[in-house]
Amino acid sequence: MKKFWALLLTVAMTLTMLVGCGGGSGEGTEAGGIDTSKTVKMGILISDATSAEALAFQNYYREYIGKQYNVELIYSDVLVDAAGEKSAVDTMITNNCKAIISFSSFDRAAQIQQCQDAGVYYAIATGTLTEEEYETYKGYEYYVGAIGPSLDVEFQTGYDMAKHYLDQGKTNFAIFGGAIPYYTEMHIYRAAGMLTAMVEAGGEGANYKGAADAGAIIGQIFADGGVDVTSIGNINIVGYVGGYDMTDAWWGAVGQMTGTAGLEVILAVGNGSDFFGTGIANTDIEIASVDAYAETYGEAMKGDSLHYLAGKFSASIGPIFVATYRAALGDPVRTAEGNALALSQGYWIATSADEFDTYYSVDSSIESPAYTKDVLDTLLTASYDDFAKFVGAYSFEEIQAMK
Amino acid sequence: MKTGNNNILKRIIGTLAIPGIALVIALLVCSNQGVILFETQGNWILFLRATASVMLTTFALSLNLNSGRFDFSIGSIALVSSVISATICINAGLPTPAMLFISIVAGGVLGLCSGLVYVLIKLPPIIVSLGVALFYEGLAFAITDGYGVSFVANQELTSFTNSPWNYVGVIVVALIVFIFILDYTKFGYEYKALVSGQKVAVNTGINEVKNAVGCYAISGALMGVVGFLSATNSGTVQMALNFGSIGTMFTAFLPMFIGGFIGRFCNEKIGYLLGAMTTALMSLTYARLLVDSSVQQIITAVVLVLFLIYLNNENKVIELVMIKNRLKKK
Repeated sequence: MKKFWALLLTVAMTLTMLVGCGGGSGEGTEAGGIDTSKTVKMGILISDATSAEALAFQNYYREYIGKQYNVELIYSDVLVDAAGEKSAVDTMITNNCKAIISFSSFDRAAQIQQCQDAGVYYAIATGTLTEEEYETYKGYEYYVGAIGPSLDVEFQTGYDMAKHYLDQGKTNFAIFGGAIPYYTEMHIYRAAGMLTAMVEAGGEGANYKGAADAGAIIGQIFADGGVDVTSIGNINIVGYVGGYDMTDAWWGAVGQMTGTAGLEVILAVGNGSDFFGTGIANTDIEIASVDAYAETYGEAMKGDSLHYLAGKFSASIGPIFVATYRAALGDPVRTAEGNALALSQGYWIATSADEFDTYYSVDSSIESPAYTKDVLDTLLTASYDDFAKFVGAYSFEEIQAMK
Repeated sequence: MKTGNNNILKRIIGTLAIPGIALVIALLVCSNQGVILFETQGNWILFLRATASVMLTTFALSLNLNSGRFDFSIGSIALVSSVISATICINAGLPTPAMLFISIVAGGVLGLCSGLVYVLIKLPPIIVSLGVALFYEGLAFAITDGYGVSFVANQELTSFTNSPWNYVGVIVVALIVFIFILDYTKFGYEYKALVSGQKVAVNTGINEVKNAVGCYAISGALMGVVGFLSATNSGTVQMALNFGSIGTMFTAFLPMFIGGFIGRFCNEKIGYLLGAMTTALMSLTYARLLVDSSVQQIITAVVLVLFLIYLNNENKVIELVMIKNRLKKK
């Protein structure tokens, strides 16, 4: 009889354990060589809680990824400096986070080193390291890598934006330089792309302050910390405003720029419609921006305050999550040489309100976003080459075809 | 009679000296660069908008600061009141005057709450206002889910920026109301008595708690207008967290010091207006000449420091001049 009760108890306990391991989305399944039954604790470093792009990214992690995968995501406060980053990383390490995904870039090098020393995986949520930085850290065991627009992609984004209007025969442009005065590389490269397209369209001998190729133009913007109001052959830059001072003087410069005689297009390296939208009301001036897919931009497009948007899609941070998740579960994705990821991704371009709506409806969905769990799960067992191919197919149509 | 005329002349010169000198310098610098300071209507709009915004902020700041209450929350009140008014007007399709009215009411209520927190908690105002600023920033963030408010394409609500006369109206009405409240009401007399000497004023039966809460409410209403001016200018209300709204307060320091100086020669409130006009002239000059923001900050800081050095050493300067005159006579 005793044996019977012992057997019954054993069966009951075994069943209880099995039931305990099951249930809940994304739990208790084996994906390739990965045991996804373990809850992975990850830290997310945040430095921006108010921009459309940051909010869209966080929404994707909070409302979709965090609910679909067996992960516990811990978010930092809004970080404002490198000291805050260090402290937040320390807190996450102390809280037994197995990996950290960072949206904060005050001191990338320190973050990577801190995580390497602590044996905690670290990934850059969006953006990339410079080539020099990558060379330094690519071999670090705990550096997962970065997926986002490379500087070449940023350059191309600016180039395509300007070319879109140059092809329409527009000749009078104003440029909003965003963070160029603070030497933010991605903004400098976007502006350089715009100027390069103008040099190419400006006719024989056209140049920007003597610079006629991409490298020289990038160097010139770095040297000046801004863009000059000048002519590039038969293309004119009739206005320029940089920075985000938001002072009366800055708004005055913004007002002056939109009121410049002959102005046809404002090319913004970042968000343009929020600053110039009211100024172009009842004019034929068009605004082109680089940002993310947010509802307000759709309204701006419908209200004729925004005409071209190169926008990041919120799910673009899905692949880096999977790479980090895999690393935390013991199966990191590395290149053939054993290095960390450094993959580039681009933007979705909308040139009409209808196009915007199509993209936005997918991008803002928390039921079926651009990268759904089913789509992302294909990366759980992907080789580096397949992973890179997946990330490289970032156009709206390509992603929709994956579903 | 001659002494009376001399006094009037002295007061006129004292009142207009600083804005006059600022105007002459701005005109000379612009002319040197081949730029006309007031070339277009847009330039007037910038000048008047900056004057209105800075004047109202100066009123709001000085109202509490003159009583020793440092209020860091005024920027956050402007933020929340504009979020509330813009959200209501967008959703209900209300016109611009309604947005202005809602902003003033919302600002007044927020200021009132801030004042009540101060008198109930009884902590130093500098600490209370920091907490209130953080709370209001978070409130604005929560109301908008962090996205802020955008009505760039709403031509009705952004139409306020089209005419300089709208800003002239704001300046005139605000100045008259502020002078009336502080110079011609019981509240104003009590306020002045409390500023002059709180203990004596309280002993005479003035309720300092009621007066302080009133000051916070008026200050909040004024900041409601500032929030309205800022929101209608850009068509957006951008979020601020971690004391990001505090910067608004600092725009009022230079005009407040200038206004305090000019106040020796005329009504202090008119001094604040002239102080605001002086800083607005500086802003317009920066915009017309596309002065780099770092250079702007340096110039503004140098002007502020020089002015404070002068104010702190005024007696010594006057003494030096007198000694020099005596020596010359000898």
